Amino acid sequence: MTGLGATMVRAGRRLLSSLPALFGVLVFTFLLMRVLPGDPAVFFASGPNAGKEEIELIRKQMGLDKSVPEQLVFYLSDIGHGNLGRSMMTGQPVLKDLRERLPASLELTFTALLIALIAAVPLGVIAALRPGSVVDHGVRLFCALGVCVPTFVSGLLLIYVFYYLLGLAPDPTGRIDVFTSLPPQRTGFLSIDFLLAGDLEGWWAACRQLILPAVSMALFVIAPLARITRASMLVSLGSDFVRTARSVGLSWRKVVVTYALRNAILPVITIAGIVFSTMLGANVLVEKVFSWPGVASYALDALLSSDYAPVQGFVLLMASLFVLVNLVVDICYGIADPRVSIE
Amino acid sequence: MRFVSFRPATSVLATAALLLIATAPSQAQTRAETLRYVTGASVNTLDPNIPGSTRESFALSMSTYDRLVAFGRKQLNGKWVFDLDTITGELAESYEVSPDGLKITFRLRKDAKFQDGSPVTAEDVKWSLDRCVTAPILGKAQLLTGSLTSADQFKVIDPLTIEVTLPKPDKLALPNLATVYPMIINSKVAKEHATADDPWATAWLKEHTAGSGAYVVETFKPGEQVILKRDEAWNRGSANKPAFFKRVIVQSVPEPATRANLVERGDADLVLDLQASDVQSLEAKGKLKVVSTPQYNAITFVSMNNQIPPFDNVNVRRAIAFALPYEDMFKAALFGRGAPLFGATWPDGKPATGIYPFQAPVKIDLDKAREYLKAAGLPEGFSTTFSFNVGQASTAEPMAALVKESLGKIGIKVDIQKLPDAQMSTQINEKKLPFFTEGIVAWLPSTDYFYRNFYTGNQRWNYSSINNAELAAIAQEARFEPDKAKYEEDGRKLNAIHFSEMPQIPLWQPNQDAVMASSVEGYTYEFHRQVDYRDVSRK
Repeated sequence: MTGLGATMVRAGRRLLSSLPALFGVLVFTFLLMRVLPGDPAVFFASGPNAGKEEIELIRKQMGLDKSVPEQLVFYLSDIGHGNLGRSMMTGQPVLKDLRERLPASLELTFTALLIALIAAVPLGVIAALRPGSVVDHGVRLFCALGVCVPTFVSGLLLIYVFYYLLGLAPDPTGRIDVFTSLPPQRTGFLSIDFLLAGDLEGWWAACRQLILPAVSMALFVIAPLARITRASMLVSLGSDFVRTARSVGLSWRKVVVTYALRNAILPVITIAGIVFSTMLGANVLVEKVFSWPGVASYALDALLSSDYAPVQGFVLLMASLFVLVNLVVDICYGIADPRVSIE
Repeated sequence: MRFVSFRPATSVLATAALLLIATAPSQAQTRAETLRYVTGASVNTLDPNIPGSTRESFALSMSTYDRLVAFGRKQLNGKWVFDLDTITGELAESYEVSPDGLKITFRLRKDAKFQDGSPVTAEDVKWSLDRCVTAPILGKAQLLTGSLTSADQFKVIDPLTIEVTLPKPDKLALPNLATVYPMIINSKVAKEHATADDPWATAWLKEHTAGSGAYVVETFKPGEQVILKRDEAWNRGSANKPAFFKRVIVQSVPEPATRANLVERGDADLVLDLQASDVQSLEAKGKLKVVSTPQYNAITFVSMNNQIPPFDNVNVRRAIAFALPYEDMFKAALFGRGAPLFGATWPDGKPATGIYPFQAPVKIDLDKAREYLKAAGLPEGFSTTFSFNVGQASTAEPMAALVKESLGKIGIKVDIQKLPDAQMSTQINEKKLPFFTEGIVAWLPSTDYFYRNFYTGNQRWNYSSINNAELAAIAQEARFEPDKAKYEEDGRKLNAIHFSEMPQIPLWQPNQDAVMASSVEGYTYEFHRQVDYRDVSRK
């Protein structure tokens, strides 16, 4: 109990200490967007007859007619009121856009990470048990292939094979087939919402849409996870306690899984946390290829058209998520290795 | 043993196949009555008048709202295209232009109803047109090109008659009323949602529709998809019956290769924005219908800023015009899919037509280019940058490489600059780019309209920043020229100035490649360059 309490206190402290960083990110992104060349007002006033008047109109709408410090003050006070501004691109409040799109990205990223972990940890363990063997080299080759094929290439390949040639996968257009009716929204995770609504057919449809993009993302991150598992398993297998465990004749399972793997899992958790945060922001290519309505493709489109509010909102969201993920990783540490919480 | 170990895999495949088959027939019925249109862009507002609205939003509004009048259609080289010269009634049963051309009287259809069931009245028409010329929205600048500027010009005569008064007999007044912006809104509904700050209900209409169009918006997810349901009572189509498709799904699919797969597999019915290479291979396979229409109201060109040295020298501009490898660029960028605007022969050295855009007598001739450079006092050449925006990269990138290579041969060193779209439009607006490629489009493609909008004034759309008093004067005069022969003569003069001054170099009119299931019929190239869902049907 005291271990858990200490973890919570530590988590709370970490959360507080990350606030200045979040504020810094906020201001930095705000300034960066304004320094970038490209005037959003000119871009959005692209109708066939849009002239100076329209440009001024949009500038006023976006609050760009004021000086930068003034804009910053307004922006910060808006954020304080929970208002992230309005996107010119979709015409919707950024908060609404992000709220609708974040579950899509999270669902995809979680699934991909799960697939990656399920594949990578056993692969890493097997490779570590027989270093230098054919299996080890096989794993290394697989990882190298996964990492050197960019996600959009593997995505397009998977679409080509499973949708175009074999016709097994549904058409790669978003989270759900256009003809399927959506379940009442509870969590925003379609696979969960369908289950809650008791609609198994819908659930299966949602899962089928999810598999290909999740696999193409997972392929890319299996490599770092498997390599870290292998390296840290090697250290742990060669350590004194494993030798002792072996010498007292404990079962293979107990030695490898309970003692070696549990000790080796810490760095894997750290990397998984980092991989998760990177995936969430960097899965833009997968989102584009599979028309996935996620936050990353939303931010990229906004960036290309210099739509300030969505980009700022996205960066803030990512920074907050990063803080959260680090917290979760910290808590996982405590569970995997109780010694950590003493610090 | 080997066979046994194979079994689970096959049974998984079989189950998957069974599931696929099981879900298929239940959709078949509605599928034939549904049009699934996929696009790389997206709809961002239900009111096309909102600044920043996308082309897909324009197309959508054509189906959700009616206008007073609409363009007819004609065949151009066997393809259906919109016809600027035929204006048919949409909400207007008939219209009458007074002999002096200063008054247009519209009689509304008696049976026209808004989607909420209330009749369309002249009051609604007046409110909608007033909104278009008064509210701070996009319609204002468009209607200005048809001499429609003030609410006083629209007068209700009786509940079914409205009169439009013009200060001058403007040829473009009537066509302007058929464009996207002057849509007719249910004023009773809109007024309920107007506020003191927003008397024209722009905020509400952005997310809701209150029109009399052929389709009702069922779901609208900005940036993802819009689903439309047919309005059974709508009868403004040509044959007095509702639109063909019961449902229309407009779905955003950002990746062009995926769009190509979708339409090839028959999951999507219609797509406009495929890559030229995909269109070519789909056409070769022959399974789908490909309708390629040269976009006769759009032009791609290489532009030079006529105010920035060395492009302020006409001989430099001429040198460039004779140093571009037109044929190669046409093939590399478009796979030859379009109408070229180069390579003409003018036997008497005069323009063959008074229509803009025209095919100019330019072709690659490096000796001639070198002579012009010498005449400009730059025999050794110079250095410059050639810019294009990321959005056009698939066509502009190969083109830019060829421009660089070819100009290198006459001593002009070119740095290729690829700019994000917003940055490119900003720099164009600030007149900072010396040498770049762009495309233009005119909804109402008449010669004077092109010249007035794209070749005069210190404004953004004057890409080449040309400042030629004679050109401006003729274009201005041609606008109100009632005599067709004189208008043609003015057009020839303008084209001659264009060729001798060479402010920018029109390259081609790219094709619009509409790729559709073979069962889809009636596709028409519209002025807004998108699909009008009311045009299409299934055999």
